[in-house]
Amino acid sequence: MSRSAAVRFEGVTVAYPHSVALEDVSFELGQGEFLGIIGPNGSGKTTLLRVVLGLERPAAGKATVLDAVGSGLASVRRRIGYVPQRRSIDPRFPVSAFDAALMGVYGSVGLLRRPLAADRARVRAALDAVGLTDMAGHVAGHLSGGQQQRLLIARALAQEPEILLLDEPTSAVDVSTRQAIVELVHKLHAERGLTTLYVTHDINEVLPCLDKVMYLNRTVRAFGRCEEVLNRKTLEALYRGRVVLVEQEGRKYVVVGDSHA
Amino acid sequence: MLDFLQYSFMQRALAGSLVVGLTCSIIGVFVVLRGMAFAGSGLAHAAFGGVALGFLLNLNPLLTAVLFCLGTAGLIQVAGKRAQLRLDASIGIFFAFTMALGVVFIGLMKRYDARIYGYLFGNVLGITEGNLVTMVALGAVVIGAIGLLYKELKFLSFDEEMAQASGLPTTALSALLLGLLALTVVLALKAVGIILLQALLVIPAATAYQLTNRYGMMFFLSGLCGVAACAVGLVVSYYLEVPSGAAIVIVATALFGLAMLFSPKRRKCRVCGPDSV
Repeated sequence: MSRSAAVRFEGVTVAYPHSVALEDVSFELGQGEFLGIIGPNGSGKTTLLRVVLGLERPAAGKATVLDAVGSGLASVRRRIGYVPQRRSIDPRFPVSAFDAALMGVYGSVGLLRRPLAADRARVRAALDAVGLTDMAGHVAGHLSGGQQQRLLIARALAQEPEILLLDEPTSAVDVSTRQAIVELVHKLHAERGLTTLYVTHDINEVLPCLDKVMYLNRTVRAFGRCEEVLNRKTLEALYRGRVVLVEQEGRKYVVVGDSHA
Repeated sequence: MLDFLQYSFMQRALAGSLVVGLTCSIIGVFVVLRGMAFAGSGLAHAAFGGVALGFLLNLNPLLTAVLFCLGTAGLIQVAGKRAQLRLDASIGIFFAFTMALGVVFIGLMKRYDARIYGYLFGNVLGITEGNLVTMVALGAVVIGAIGLLYKELKFLSFDEEMAQASGLPTTALSALLLGLLALTVVLALKAVGIILLQALLVIPAATAYQLTNRYGMMFFLSGLCGVAACAVGLVVSYYLEVPSGAAIVIVATALFGLAMLFSPKRRKCRVCGPDSV
């Protein structure tokens, strides 16, 4: 593994009893890089993130994350912030937004120990970073979809992670909130020097932020710097000609014939 | 009013009821928030198999009930994982199986023993000093474990997937919670019985849920409701000369009805304030 690599997959295969989720996946992501992961439904995007977290064990190949391998991945989980793809937070669960964000530090606090004042300060800073300071006392499940998504990002940030994993964080919010969340993630990524893996169905929303792009469909169909992947030749091969690359005001947009760009 | 306390059996009954009320209502918060009501019912029926085995082998029925309940809790967890079943389906299997074993054990007994049926509806007035010591010890284990693992169980109940992703041992915590529920079932058996026990696992926590949006406060209010229902129910049963287990459940249900009618959640309140973890 090169010195600056934060995540490295070497021929990783993940199999379930009746299907193969990932097959021979290899790539390397340097520290501080922003990777956008695209691909159709069921292409293994979430599974890839779960391998990074050590929640899925490869049946073959090797995943190295922050220099940890195999069962050692569990020990680096607390250095990884995870914003899962999700439904809304259960509005019936009696927990405030502050307490929900505080759960982000539980892993680093350790079993049987209580969070300290410094941990609470980190949570307040994380809520401030996502603009939720005023909502800290509200029931987490009563926040709007966009606020809940910000809350989940705050929970991940409270861990003070080195790697940030986001699984379709804008899938359940309106267009303006989507833009605000992407800008927030980009800002935090830059300010904190995070290594970010961002799974999305809409590559256009994160295009300006990306260092690298991966097109995943069980195996890596394309991976590299944006200009290497997001060019007409590669995209036409991936989408079988159903793609148009538009450039407007210095910004590229990928327009695909179906809904999954 | 308190003249009934001159009898030692009533003193033990009151002390036992308070231990049962407090322990059931504290673990009941998880039963309500995690949707584990069926688990409580399933383990209560497993306890019946254990009690029957105790009578068959002439052993302490509470001891065999503890072993039976913990074994069943383990089987529910393991079989559910291996057979890839939802928890309720796994509970349904062992609910019926352990009940069937109880019926078989009773059938194998050489003579009829009416004491077994006391465990179906409970007999709080029959709590012995030995029973009381066992109940206090089990209650201390259950409440102590919940206190020690307060934040871990909170995260597990709120978002199990994220708790796992954060590095918490969620499988072990889920198994432990089921084990604590099994111990609670056993400690409450003698007082309220298998059939009415479910009520104490659900009603005080459901009552507390009507009154607060704060997780920590829910434990306090649930404990208060559980203790109040048991104490008032016991006194009512003494003066009205009705079965105590049933009186306790009726009082608990009345408290729930009042809480539901006057719940501040119906009137206001999206703000709950952070818990003091």
